[in-house]
Amino acid sequence: MNWRRFDTLFLRLFVLMWVTLVLSHGVAFLAVGPMAGPRGPAPQGGHPGAAQWPTLPSLPPGNPFTADEVERGGRPPAGGPPGAGGPTGSLALPRGALWADYALRMIVIALGAALGARWLASPMRRLSRAAGELSRGFGRGKAAPVLDVTRGTREVREAAQVFNGMATRLQEQFDARGLHMAALSHDLRTPLTRLRLRLEQLPDAAAQSAANDVREMDEMIDMTLAVLREQRDAQPSAPVDMASLLQAVADDLAEQGHDVVLAGDAGAMRARAHPAAVRRVVGNLVGNALRYGERARIGLARSGNMVEVTVDDDGPGIPADRLEQVFEPWVRLTGTHERTGHGLGLAIARDLAERDGGRLTLANRPAGGLRATLHLPAA
Amino acid sequence: MTHCLLVDDDPEIRHLLLDYLKGFGFTVQAVPDGRTLRRALAASMPDVLLLDLMLPDEDGLALCQWVKQTRPALPVIMLTAQGDPMSRVLGLELGADDYLPKPFEPRELVARIKAVLRRGAAAALPTASAADVRFEGWIFDRLRRELREGDGTVLALSAAEFRLLSAFVDHAGKVLARDRLIELTRSGDAEVGGRSVDLAVSRLRAKLGEARSGQPLIRTLRGEGYLFDVKVDT
Repeated sequence: MNWRRFDTLFLRLFVLMWVTLVLSHGVAFLAVGPMAGPRGPAPQGGHPGAAQWPTLPSLPPGNPFTADEVERGGRPPAGGPPGAGGPTGSLALPRGALWADYALRMIVIALGAALGARWLASPMRRLSRAAGELSRGFGRGKAAPVLDVTRGTREVREAAQVFNGMATRLQEQFDARGLHMAALSHDLRTPLTRLRLRLEQLPDAAAQSAANDVREMDEMIDMTLAVLREQRDAQPSAPVDMASLLQAVADDLAEQGHDVVLAGDAGAMRARAHPAAVRRVVGNLVGNALRYGERARIGLARSGNMVEVTVDDDGPGIPADRLEQVFEPWVRLTGTHERTGHGLGLAIARDLAERDGGRLTLANRPAGGLRATLHLPAA
Repeated sequence: MTHCLLVDDDPEIRHLLLDYLKGFGFTVQAVPDGRTLRRALAASMPDVLLLDLMLPDEDGLALCQWVKQTRPALPVIMLTAQGDPMSRVLGLELGADDYLPKPFEPRELVARIKAVLRRGAAAALPTASAADVRFEGWIFDRLRRELREGDGTVLALSAAEFRLLSAFVDHAGKVLARDRLIELTRSGDAEVGGRSVDLAVSRLRAKLGEARSGQPLIRTLRGEGYLFDVKVDT
């Protein structure tokens, strides 16, 4: 049991107020009791120790611990029947009524404390909700939440102002970063165009592999820009026919002379996703498979309420302890058969998959080679 | 002799492209910005305009629109480093005949130039190249290169399928001989063989299925070629 979860601002305020109020009654009684004692009635009956509780305006007359015994003793309180008036013990209430009285006070105080604590804690809750919204919506094209700076106590209003300022600055920095990335990517393309044109003056063999390098760089720029675009304008997701998408990716690569097979006929299967993003993710996975395994095998299956796309290669695979690491941007595995891919690709692919509520995982196949599995919510 | 007018603000790219295109028998006049383009257009009559979108003095898109208004017959190929679908959408909507993202394969540029000139000679193409083409309950989105069903389901198209469907909707209701289809769907440097066209036809047939009339949308006419037998709305 994790007790920390009960440590809320609300509970603290509630307990504080409640204890304070209850304590105030107790202290008042203890302090005022002895003072009132001499003026009170003399102890009665067989209970010399149980003093008659003082009748303060804030407390009901009588003593809840002794009231019944007084009655049971058959000795009527001095000064007439109960409730008949009189300044002393004659006002004492029956024990049950007294307990009810105390309970009622506790409950009313508790209610008041609860409402008060709720009221006091609400700005904190608003703040944390807004902060959560900010972090969730960040980079997904959603506007930063704005807190009302005219509500609440001064501290709360100040905190709201600070929060709004922070959210605005974060958004500005984020936008500026995106703009810089876009500008950088864009500006890289001009020298790349020059480079590509210059290659035409080189002998064929050298020019061919250099041209491939240029293409690879351009793909990286493309991916970077695609992510920035996705973050800015969120095109709505749509049902995507997965079989035709995989077929299209496979056909395109086969046309370029690559060994790509779409295994089996899984029938019509739709995923709810962003078509361009899915195509990019699958293209990236197949591209990796071809780069490290020379051959790619694409599979499509249904698994529960998800559509499952697998891309198998027969390359060297990835050591089990580094399977997660390759999803981190800028990580490139060395040692094993010189994996020279750009680490950014898988990071972006996973990011794109997760935006559509999907998952992207890697595993080594028992038969050798790597299997990339993409899960997307079925439509 | 084909005369190209090239607009690009990068002097080296102008220089390199000039040299490269010369090797293919094009004469090229290269200018750095919108102002000089206007002057060059007034003085000469190029066969094709290669227009960079990012110019120092003028927006390439606006310039493209102006060119299409003053010289509707002049084919325009946009060259851009932006490479983002939106600028492509805009470019084609504003009348550009083709769009080539930088860095391009130089051979691809030559192929595109030849393609727009071929098309220009045919002159049957609606230059608007409308983004969305509708037929038989399908929406063919040429910009995203995908096919959408009435309920919004997206069917991705391979490059070959896209070229084939583009050729079909441009020649809807007309019989296309297989050789003509191969020529129309030729891409950049990749030679499209007959087998690749046959494959794309069968894939497209599988995707499109049958029309409401029960006839296949793509009909094979023995000895004649293919017929895309639908009414197309743009």
